[in-house]
Amino acid sequence: MEIVLAQIVNGFSLGSIYVLLVTGFNLMLLVARIIQFAYPQFVVLSMYASWAVLESTNNIFLAALAAIISSIILNLLSEPIFRRINNRENVDINASFVASMGLSMIIVEIMSHSINNGFPVSFPDYWGGKNLFSFGYINLGRGEFYALTGGIILVAIFFYLLYHTHYGRVFRAIAESRKTAKQVGLAVLKSSILSYLVAGILGGIIAILFSMLLGSASPWLGESVALKVLAVSITAGLGNLKGGLYVGLSLGILESLAVGFLAGSWANVIAFVLMLIVVLTKPEGLFGAAIE
Amino acid sequence: MRNLFKIFIFSLIVVVAFSGVSFAQNEVKVEKWTIPFLNSVTGPIASIGEYMSWSAKYAAREINANGGIRGKDVEIKIYDTGVEPDKGIKQMSKVVDDALVVMGPVPEAVIMAAVPLAARNGLFSMPVSTSYEYAQKYFPWTLSWYPPTDEKLPPITELWAEKNPEMKKVVQFVEKWAAWPGMADAHQIGLENKNVEVENIEVPQNMVTFDSLVVKALSKNPDGILLTTNSDKAAKIIKQLEDRGWKDKENILVFSSADDTPLYTIGGKALEGISIYNYINPNSNNPRWLKFKEEYKKDHDGKAPGSLATNYYDAVYMIKEAIENKKITGDPAKLEEERKMIRDYTRNVDNFEGIQLTWDMNEGVPGSKGAFLFKIIDGEKKLIGEVK
Amino acid sequence: MSITFNYFIGFSFIYILMAWAIYLPYRVKDLHFLTVATMAVTAYFSGVAAVNWGWPFYLVLISGILLGALISYIISFVIGDVPTFTVVIVGITFIFITKTVIENTDYLGGTMGFFAIPAVDNILLIMTGITLVISYFLYMIDNSQLGRAASVIFADKKMAYSLGIKPKRIGRLFQTISGGIAGSAGVLYAYFTGSLFPDFFSFHLVGTLMTIVFIGGYSTMWGIIFSALILGGVPILLPSAVSSWKNLIYGVLLVSVILIKPDGLITKKFLWKIKNKIKGM
Repeated sequence: MEIVLAQIVNGFSLGSIYVLLVTGFNLMLLVARIIQFAYPQFVVLSMYASWAVLESTNNIFLAALAAIISSIILNLLSEPIFRRINNRENVDINASFVASMGLSMIIVEIMSHSINNGFPVSFPDYWGGKNLFSFGYINLGRGEFYALTGGIILVAIFFYLLYHTHYGRVFRAIAESRKTAKQVGLAVLKSSILSYLVAGILGGIIAILFSMLLGSASPWLGESVALKVLAVSITAGLGNLKGGLYVGLSLGILESLAVGFLAGSWANVIAFVLMLIVVLTKPEGLFGAAIE
Repeated sequence: MRNLFKIFIFSLIVVVAFSGVSFAQNEVKVEKWTIPFLNSVTGPIASIGEYMSWSAKYAAREINANGGIRGKDVEIKIYDTGVEPDKGIKQMSKVVDDALVVMGPVPEAVIMAAVPLAARNGLFSMPVSTSYEYAQKYFPWTLSWYPPTDEKLPPITELWAEKNPEMKKVVQFVEKWAAWPGMADAHQIGLENKNVEVENIEVPQNMVTFDSLVVKALSKNPDGILLTTNSDKAAKIIKQLEDRGWKDKENILVFSSADDTPLYTIGGKALEGISIYNYINPNSNNPRWLKFKEEYKKDHDGKAPGSLATNYYDAVYMIKEAIENKKITGDPAKLEEERKMIRDYTRNVDNFEGIQLTWDMNEGVPGSKGAFLFKIIDGEKKLIGEVK
Repeated sequence: MSITFNYFIGFSFIYILMAWAIYLPYRVKDLHFLTVATMAVTAYFSGVAAVNWGWPFYLVLISGILLGALISYIISFVIGDVPTFTVVIVGITFIFITKTVIENTDYLGGTMGFFAIPAVDNILLIMTGITLVISYFLYMIDNSQLGRAASVIFADKKMAYSLGIKPKRIGRLFQTISGGIAGSAGVLYAYFTGSLFPDFFSFHLVGTLMTIVFIGGYSTMWGIIFSALILGGVPILLPSAVSSWKNLIYGVLLVSVILIKPDGLITKKFLWKIKNKIKGM
């Protein structure tokens, strides 16, 4: 029983990774109507930025700031690309998926060639901190706690922002139809840039939480999770923030239990097969898509 | 007397003429020796590819500083294959028409795809970082740098078990990639020879967090842990074990393929006291090795050479020896013949003096080259045992 | 012909076939990544049939095509009329399943890979023949009522329904044909390379194929030939120092094309202009 509990606690830790990334992914869907497959890569590159600053200054605050600033820059740089795609007459969400795949290839190639000679980078132990709780097999590290609570808080914040504030309504209106939004007098360009700024801040926070949770980053870290993040979003319902939270955490727990009690390589298969069953029985997702 | 003199002069003329002809036949026809090296300098094993390229080029610089090969400089030309089989084939196809010999490929997937192409075209490949089981499939157009895995590895884990007699049960983390499952089986044989029970836990390739695997391992109440995974994962598992209170660090053994930069940068202080094996003795007093180590550290921020660092250094010297001893000319008209000469020489060389070891090759298989067991103390590997 | 050129052409054929296998279902907006899993299955089937069972090449080829078509046909019932991204999940799931089964099956070589698939004489000629046959077949589909119906489904599925077109049925047909094409690519890949390694049949291959399809142009079959040759040529024609940045080059090309020419380089409009120019001559 203790082992099962331990694996469930581990599952929350893994699940928090999916929750954080799927929140960013869903945010891009809601405010920009794009499938941002490169979002995990943006987060990883921000982790590298914070590592670089930490290596040269040994200052945690500056390193955290570096993560947020770099994430903002990356997201803002991608804004014109996706704006141009969305400005077309016949907007096809597949085009954003394909463009983001291209961005993903570019970022991974840059990281694997140019940063730290392509080697993984490691964060110092004090960055994540010691264990908060340890009892038998059950262990909760500080980084894991921050990632999990951070994930839940961020989902709550963005849910409130998008559905209960003026700016949130503006973002969603522009994402729904830029043309109509312009016609009713909304500042489309300014709001679009603001929405990417928000996504960038979120990405930076995720990068900080990941570096605490994982303690290291490699050029292929984003790729390892990108497919699962896409699958979680589709299973929960595209753009559904609450759904992403529940499905992300559930997937983490399921994977941990599968890895813990079955052969490791089958954990991925089980996860994807279960998600496949869900999407085939409920194509709009378990909790319903927030966008069409 | 006069007739004798005439015969003598005539004989002298004939001897000189023939010498001249044979000298001309053995004259080097190339301006420099270009040795292609199909290597992974991009992709997931780029960190290993980088130091292997460095080592091969270092060997070339050393050779050139000492007069080259048969008076001509040697150049190592790197062809990047990543870990992609089709890229490997394409790169091999660029060299297969003209090269005397090719070093690499490195990753097993690329070896499988590209070496048959070389073999079909009579080009000898030297994939000296792979296991016997891969190289042997393409004999005689390759050679193996290592004896068969099930001969080479059991003695190492037996030695580790002897050093830690309190171990009765070991959990082995196995990443299912290329030859590693076979190596894991060989590790298990050695431990079972010493009456140590082994349980294997599979590590998925795209694993991001390792706490669930570590809990699984600890739930089996092992006395020892053996890591047959890549360096990144090995380091993270060790850190997780430490976080969960694992104290007996010498009862953790990391296998040779994980003895690579990410192990040290990610593992950090958590590696203190762990055991690791590989095929390089960092404490060797061989002057060539000392110089190699010094130059390596200069170019790699003070880090010690990786476990496969000497392989391609030695391969370059083996090719040099073959060219010199067989008087290879590099003449394109003799390409087929000279390729076979290099092949046959290297596959059966006696007393080859590598940078650390001297060994024989017999039909492409080396005599035992030994292995070294270390403990990490203050971030450095300290030798605690040797398998000869 | 030099060996380099031979391999360049051979791999180009394989990538063209696989890109067509993705192009055809995308005519009705299905991103059908299952083709990669199908290619893996038929490639390993070819290896086993050739090496372990001693089957001759043509028998393996026909069986591989039929096997690929059958796999896609069966899965198409499961897929039904689900949205695009659900089809993506189907493909990804089967890629994971296939790779895991191969890695855990010693009979298929496991993680070591599968070796020693015998070479076939005149493989390039055979590849040329198969590519021509499939290109003709695809050309006939594109220029038939079926092709026009597919264009309507792509533009507006609801309109298609109201015109009496059956998207589900056409989708199923295209997926089945695509499976057959992927099957042929798997067989040819196995014989051409002589060995199989499970890591090749992964999401990376999906990325490469998507790049070929979207750069060449997803609305016609011809752009794929052009983009496969160009993208396949990068690792061969450019110096190693540049070609090691292959994925960066692909990524930049992909983003650029999506921005500047979102329908790809060769579109229906472009072909129509060429046709008219030729007629005018």
